[in-house]
Order: sequence, then C-alpha cells, then structure tokens
Amino acid sequence: MIEVAALVAAPLFAGGLSLVVHRSALLHAINLTSMAILVTAEIMITSAVLKDGPFTALEQLVYLDALSTFILFIIGAVGLACSFYMRSYMDEQVARGIVAPTRLNMFFFLFHMFLLAMVVATIVNSVGVQWVAIEATTLATTFLIAFWRRRESLEAGWKYLILCSVGISLALFGVVLLYYSSLHALSDVGQGLNVTQLLIVADRLNPHVLKLAFIFILVGYGTKVGLVPMHSWLPDAYTEAPAPVVAMLAGVLEVVSVYAILRMRVIVDHAVSFAFTGGLLALFGFASLVTAAFFILIQHNYKRLFAYSSIEHMGIAMIGFGVGGALGTFGGLFHLLNHAFAKSMAFFAAGNIHRRFHTVEIGQVQGVATAQPWTAMALMISGLALSALPPFSSFASEVQVATALASQGVPEMWFTNTEGMVTIALSDQFGRLAVTAVFLMSAILAFGGLMYRITGMVWGTPPEGILREETWTVGHLPVILLAGALVVFSVFLPPPIRQLLEQATTLLVIQ
Amino acid sequence: MLQAIILVIAQVTVLLTVSPFLVGLIRKVKARLQLRRGASVFQPYADLAKLFRKQPVLSTTTSWIFTVTPYIVFASTLTAGLLVPTFISQNPMNFAGNIIALVYLLALGTFFLILAGLDAGSAFGGMGSSREAIVASLTEPAMILSIFAIALTNGSTNLSTIVHKTALLDGVATDPSPQLMALASLFLVALAETGRVPIDNPATHLELTMIHEAMILEYSGRYLALLEWAASLKLAVFLSLIANVFAPWGIATTAAPAAMMIGVLVYLAKTAALATVIGMIECMFAKLRLFRVTDLLGVAFILGLLGLLFFYTLRS
Amino acid sequence: MQVLSYSGSQLVDLCSALLLLTCFAIVAQRRLSACVDLFALQSAFLVVTAALVAYLTGNQHIYIAAVLTGVIKVIIIPRVLKKVIDRLNVKRELVMYVNVPAGLLICGGLVMLAFFISEPIIPLGFLLTRDSLAIALAIVLIGFFTMIARQKAVTQLVGFLVLENGLFLGATAATYGMPLIVELGVFFDVLIATLIAGIYTNRLQDAFDSVDTNRLTVLKE
Repeated sequence: MIEVAALVAAPLFAGGLSLVVHRSALLHAINLTSMAILVTAEIMITSAVLKDGPFTALEQLVYLDALSTFILFIIGAVGLACSFYMRSYMDEQVARGIVAPTRLNMFFFLFHMFLLAMVVATIVNSVGVQWVAIEATTLATTFLIAFWRRRESLEAGWKYLILCSVGISLALFGVVLLYYSSLHALSDVGQGLNVTQLLIVADRLNPHVLKLAFIFILVGYGTKVGLVPMHSWLPDAYTEAPAPVVAMLAGVLEVVSVYAILRMRVIVDHAVSFAFTGGLLALFGFASLVTAAFFILIQHNYKRLFAYSSIEHMGIAMIGFGVGGALGTFGGLFHLLNHAFAKSMAFFAAGNIHRRFHTVEIGQVQGVATAQPWTAMALMISGLALSALPPFSSFASEVQVATALASQGVPEMWFTNTEGMVTIALSDQFGRLAVTAVFLMSAILAFGGLMYRITGMVWGTPPEGILREETWTVGHLPVILLAGALVVFSVFLPPPIRQLLEQATTLLVIQ
Repeated sequence: MLQAIILVIAQVTVLLTVSPFLVGLIRKVKARLQLRRGASVFQPYADLAKLFRKQPVLSTTTSWIFTVTPYIVFASTLTAGLLVPTFISQNPMNFAGNIIALVYLLALGTFFLILAGLDAGSAFGGMGSSREAIVASLTEPAMILSIFAIALTNGSTNLSTIVHKTALLDGVATDPSPQLMALASLFLVALAETGRVPIDNPATHLELTMIHEAMILEYSGRYLALLEWAASLKLAVFLSLIANVFAPWGIATTAAPAAMMIGVLVYLAKTAALATVIGMIECMFAKLRLFRVTDLLGVAFILGLLGLLFFYTLRS
Repeated sequence: MQVLSYSGSQLVDLCSALLLLTCFAIVAQRRLSACVDLFALQSAFLVVTAALVAYLTGNQHIYIAAVLTGVIKVIIIPRVLKKVIDRLNVKRELVMYVNVPAGLLICGGLVMLAFFISEPIIPLGFLLTRDSLAIALAIVLIGFFTMIARQKAVTQLVGFLVLENGLFLGATAATYGMPLIVELGVFFDVLIATLIAGIYTNRLQDAFDSVDTNRLTVLKE
C-alpha cells in the first residue's frame, strides 16, 4: 500500500519542508516533486482499482473505490496545473513586492496542508474523519484567502471562516446522527462511521434519523460547495484570494465537498428512498442554477462572474445527481471534471488579467487579445467551455444532465403521496417539460451573460499604459493542457477515465 | 386540632425570629467579603426594637392608606409565610391556600406598598412606586410560569403536598430538567421580589438607584419597623420556598418532636446557606440599570417557560 | 451497552439542562469577557456530563474526551479569547441586531423547535436520557442564533464554540462518544479554528479599527 501512503506523505513532507526552506526556487521544486509523487501514486491507485475493484488499506482507515479515485484524479490534475501556474504567478507577486519573500514559504505550507486535507477527505473510510479533513480544508485556506492582508481580503477570509465553520458544524451534527443510527445496526461500534460498514447495514438503519442526518449533511457540506442559499461567502473569497488558490477552491474543494455529500447519499438511499435525497439535491441544484444565472447577468467584476459561474455549474451537477439514473449521475460526475478544468483555467486567465490591468472591474478591462494574447485565448476557451458550447466536453456533460432531466424529471419532493400532504410532482410529462425549460433557460442566460462580458474584455484596445506583449512562461503550460483536455474529452474519453466514471456511476445508482 | 394550633404558632415564631437573622447574615457576608468586620448578625433585631420604641411621624398629606399599609403588608407576608412549609412538610395551614394564593398574598402587599409610596406625595415615593410597579409586573409572569412548572412536575399546587411527596422520595425529583429551569427562574424572581442586587440595592438611599427604599422613605417609628420586618419576612418566605421545594432534605415529615427539632436545625442551615449565596451575589455583581432589569427578568420568564416546555415534552 | 440506572440518566439530564441554562445566560449577557466566562462554565458542565456518561456506560475513551474538553475548552480557549478581548477597545456589546428579551424569546422558540425535530427519533434509541439529544440540538440552534444576533467578532466566536459544545453533547449523550480518532480530530479542528479566529479578530481590529462585523461591508454585490 505504498501508493496510499505516498498520497498522504507527499503533501505532508512537502508542507513540513516548505516551513524550513526560504528560497523560492527550492519551494517550487518541492511543490512540483510532491505533486509528481501524488500524481504517480494516483495513477497506480487507478490501475489497482480498475483491475481489482474497491479496496481498503491501513487497518480499514482508507477506502478507495472508483468514485474516490475519480475525485483523486481531479485533485491531482488541477493540483499539478496549479503548481505550474504558481511557478510564474507567485514569483511575480514576490518580485512586485505584493508578497514579502519571507511569507512565501507560509503560502506553500498552507497550500500543501490544503492539499493534504483534501486528499485525506477523499480517501478516508470513516465519515467522521472525512468531516475532520473537510473542516481542516477550511482552516488551511482561510489564511490563503486573506493572504494579501488587505481590508477586503480580511473581510472575505473572516466570512469564509465563520460561514464554512458553522456550515460544517451542522454537517457534524449529521455525522453524529448517522453514527447514532448505525449503533443499532452494528456490533463493532468502533467501525460505526466507516463507509464500508455502513454500506453493508445501510438498509437496516433507521430512516427517520437518516433523513435528518442527510439534511444536516447536505446543508453543511453544501455550504462548502457554495450551494444557494449558503453561497454568500463564495464570491467574496474567490475575488480576494490569489489566483492559484481560487483555482484550487473552485476546481477541487467544491468537488471534494460534493463527494462528501455523494458518499452520504448512497447510504441514505439504501435506507430511505432515492426520491428523498434526489429531490433535495435537485432542489438545491435548481436554486443554485437559477440564482447564479441571474447574478452572472448583472456582474461587473470578472472574478465574481466566474465565482457565480461556479455556483451555476455546481447547481447543474447537483441536478444531475438529483435526477439520478445512469445518465444523470454520469453527467453530473463528468460535469464535475469538466468544470474543474474549465474553471481553474478561467481563474488562471483572471489572475493574469488582474496582474496586468490591476482591476477586477469588467468595464476597465479591454483588449486583452492585444495585451495578453495567450491569456486572451485561455479566457475565450474557458468562457466557451463554461458556457457549455461544443466542441468542449462540458457541452457533452451538460447535455447528458439535460437529457436525463427531460426524460425522468425531478424526483418528487420529500413529501410522499399520502393524503393531505403537498406533493410537488415534477416527474410527469408537464413537470418534466417545465423543469427542463427552467434548466435550459438558466443555462442560456448564463451563457449570454458570460460570453457578453468575456468578449467585451477580449476585444477592443487596451487602456493607455498597459503593456502590449506577453512572454511565454511555464505558467501558460497548464492552460494549454487543460484546454486540450477539454477538447479531447468531448470526443474521446481516455479508457481509464471512462471506466472510472462508469464504475463510479454504478456505485452511486441504487437500483 | 390543638397540635395544629401549636404548629402554627411554632411556624409563626420561627419565621418571625429567623427572618431578621437572614438579613443580618447577608449583611455580614457582604461585609466580610468586602474585608470589613460589619455589624453583628443580630443587629437587625436591635434595629427593629429601636424603631418600635420610636414615635412615628406622619406627613399631614397622607391618607388612611398610609397608616394601614404597614399592617396589611406585614399581615399578608406573614400569612404567605404560613402557606410555605418551613421545618415540617405537612404544614398546618395548608388548607388555607395553595401556591397561587401565596403569589397573590405577596402581590397584595406589593400593591399596598406602591399605593403608600404614592400617598405621601413626595417625589421619591412616587418614583419608587413606579419602579416597583415595573419590576412587579415583570416578575409576576416569570413567577407564575416557574410555579406552574413546579406544580405540574409534582402534580399538585399545594405546597405541603409538593414538599411532602418529594421529601418522602429522598428528595429525588422525577424530572430534573423542568425543576432546574424553575429553580433558576424562581431564584431570579426572589432576587427581584425581595429587592436584592442586581435589581435593587437595599443598602442605598441614593435616589438614582433605590426602589424599595424609596417607597418606604416617608415611614418612621413602628410603621417602618413593621415594613422592614415584612421585607425580611418576604426574604425568608422565598428562601424557604426555594430550599424546601427543590431540596426538601431533612424536613420533618411527621409531627414527632425529634424530627421537628432536626427540621428546625436543617431549615436554619438551608436558609442560612441561601442567604450566604445572596450575600456573595451582592458582592460580585453590580446593580443593573433599571432598563436592563427587563433583560434579567426576561431570562427568568424564559426559564419558567422552558420549565413548562420540558415538562410537556418529557411527558408526551 | 448496559442498561443504566434511573438516577444516573437523571444526572446526565440535569447536566444537559445546566448546559442549556448557561446558553441562555450567554444570550442575555452583553459583556464580552462575561460571555467567555460563561462559555468556560458551560464547557465545565460538559466535562461533568462527559465524565458521567463515561462512568455510566463504562466507555473509557469518553474520559479522554472529557479531559480534552477540560483542557481545551475550559482553560486554553477562554484564555486565548480573554487575550483577544484585552486588545480590543470595546468591552461590551452595545448594539445588537436583536435585543435581549426578544433574543431570549427566540431561543425559547428554538428549544421548542429542537424538541419538535428530534421527537420522532428520541423513542427509538437506547438513549441514556430522553432529552439530551433534543437539548444538544437546542444548544446548536442557540449557538447559531448567537452568531447571527451579535455583531462583535468575539461574541460570534463564542456562539460558534457554544454550537460546538452542543454538538459534543449530542455526540456524548446520544452515541456515547464518537470513535476516538474522530473526536481527537474534532478537538484539533476546534482549537485551530479558535486560534485562527483569534488572530483574525486582531487583524480586523487593526485594519478596520473595530471588531464590529457589520463594518465588514467592503465586499458586496
């Protein structure tokens, strides 16, 4: 189980080393090495999982199946991209005196801790430890968000810390309830929070308790995902944090939080019903999609624009999971991947623009194509991908979700069809039509808002005093790779990824 | 019958003799905590004796209400005291009224005191009366709620029954949570009703802060003595209520002389302990501003409400 | 799991009720340092509850949790918060979004809500007590409310810690403690969160000259 150990050890040691190292080049070297180890370990795990199926390791502490491996893949890919981007971004921050050279190692330390917490949250077997790890991501990132130490970033950091901590606390109550219900069914209490054990006894767990637990967990981790109405920290944090951090937040942390919800959801599905969890997920999904689409339209700040676009895409993925079935779930998972790639790319571009134009106002940014041709290309591509246009893979995943929605509708909301209860029937023909229409309308609104703003930024002549050339740096490499991946994935999913996705889908769909 | 009469007389004697001692004890504790020697704990007896010997002076503007009030206050408080078990659980006067009667006997005294404060027509009296009216109107609901919580958990409104039942159960109440809420609520109410810090300060004659003292500012001589004695009686009533309803350990459950002797001693110890606690509170906390009193009594009210709530949720 | 004696469960009940009682005191208290003291008191009650549960159920690892609660929540965190308060220029909460009596009424309502929510799941447990889980939920909700109703960063933090106490009470009284590794992790997280929030409060004080969180209005739509 060397690869599992490497997965945890790499960021841990890298973080420790970063604390004692001060030279920038060395810090980057440590970072890239640890990411390389991480990715190698992931590849080994992927092949192991694909060959032998799910396995546990380290005394039942670690549980890896197709779903967690898939999430690991996203962490590794986006993490690696971020590391390359940081190479040019952080050095420039130091060179321009925005970040003191002495604080650079703190940045890397926190970055590694953030990575570590996310890896642990993904691979761990116990839902309780998963909670601890997800709370740890909050703690690691709160100083990263406020890294610039301006008033705005302090404000954003405080909001993030308080809102996420409280949200996460509610999730802990859900975990307590889950444990409470498992105590009846399990003989070995010490294993009472392990996913492997819970899945075995899932249909014997008490549905009342599980329903309550799921609501708490959905609201709790939903805060981290940034689902409406728990999203208010998200645009602030995404605006204020340094670009590589935002890329990680938007690309990976959201995915890990969704993963925590999905893990819980499978257990609850066994005990309660698919319609209960699906209805709730779809409800939050639609709330996020519609609200975010509206805010995208009125946005004047390009970082906030992308932040709301994150909320929108998480909403779409949630709708996919809520509708369920093989198609919806597959679409949802695939959409998580596509969004992670497209959004980290978008924030790389946003970071470059911010460094050049020194503003986050869309109105003051013009002619990026002239000033920064590479960045303009990245911005356009990510914008198109985020609008889910062909030939990008996000088009494929969004169409999958929409098709699932149109064919199955939303599961009936949590009131069952007993007399005197309100039933929101959204799975009959009319209901299906209505929810699909809402979905498509919101997607089109978001597309319009996003592309209108982005084209306005890309074309035109840059303001006076803006440098009109862009030299190739290593920071451009991840952008090219991510863009390439988005295009390739739309027509050809590499077999390992496809298998992971398919197996993860079967894990999530309860027949 | 004869036994009942003797018991009533005994209870009256105990209440009347113990109550000034409690006031003296609070003052002593306070003094000690402030590193003063303080007056003897028996000083209030001397004060009362002195006041009874003095000739009262009556303002020419006062009406009959002013002269009759001290007697009404004293009598109503003493009657209220007879409804509360002190050293024996089966109170001889328990036929005369229950826990609700107790509340309204005390309210009767407050009502007349407020009238008397207004009667003399002095500025301070009126101010004290209006403040007392505010405090009383806020304590009333809190007290009623906490008392209901007690009555419901014990299944009776009769104080003797409540105390007797719990005493026979070795003092273990059936449900601790509602009792605890009611206790906390009743303690706050007791502080407010007996004019203690942090609601009122009995040791001051500063016009900005006084409530009870302002109302009785015009009194002198034996009238003042009666009112002071009634105030200390009221304190004794509340302390007995708290001590015996929530911790009826050691109270005499039969009329056997030995049990009653122990009962009296335990009663003394319990009320003295409570008085010490009050003395400590007076040292540790500052008096609240009048408009903050609502906060504290709001707490008392909510606690009473919670007591009731706990009772109902636990029953169902 | 053995069947517990009647009076033992009553004691746990009593302790949980005491925790709830301190919650109300915190809601009614305006002075920042007194809020911190009350939080320490509440944590002390929590230690007693956890020790009681450990004794009654014979689960040794709850003792560890109790000791940790004592060290972290009764000693370390209050000290950290006191230090933070010492640096501030404001010692008491002057303006609240909800005044004290209304706040207390709302909290009373929250307690009812908590009982209402947990009613369907209470009877099925081999629960130590009937109402500990409901009280835990009530404390969580009141902590939540405190965070919303107060403006000062420190009192918001106290609200968060109260919320955590409620969670811990729920975990102890309803499930006889979580697996040890989870509990340790939770303690670690809470401690770090408090330290971070303490540092933040100081930085907010420096940057905004105030710890009123309603001054944090630079970022908005």
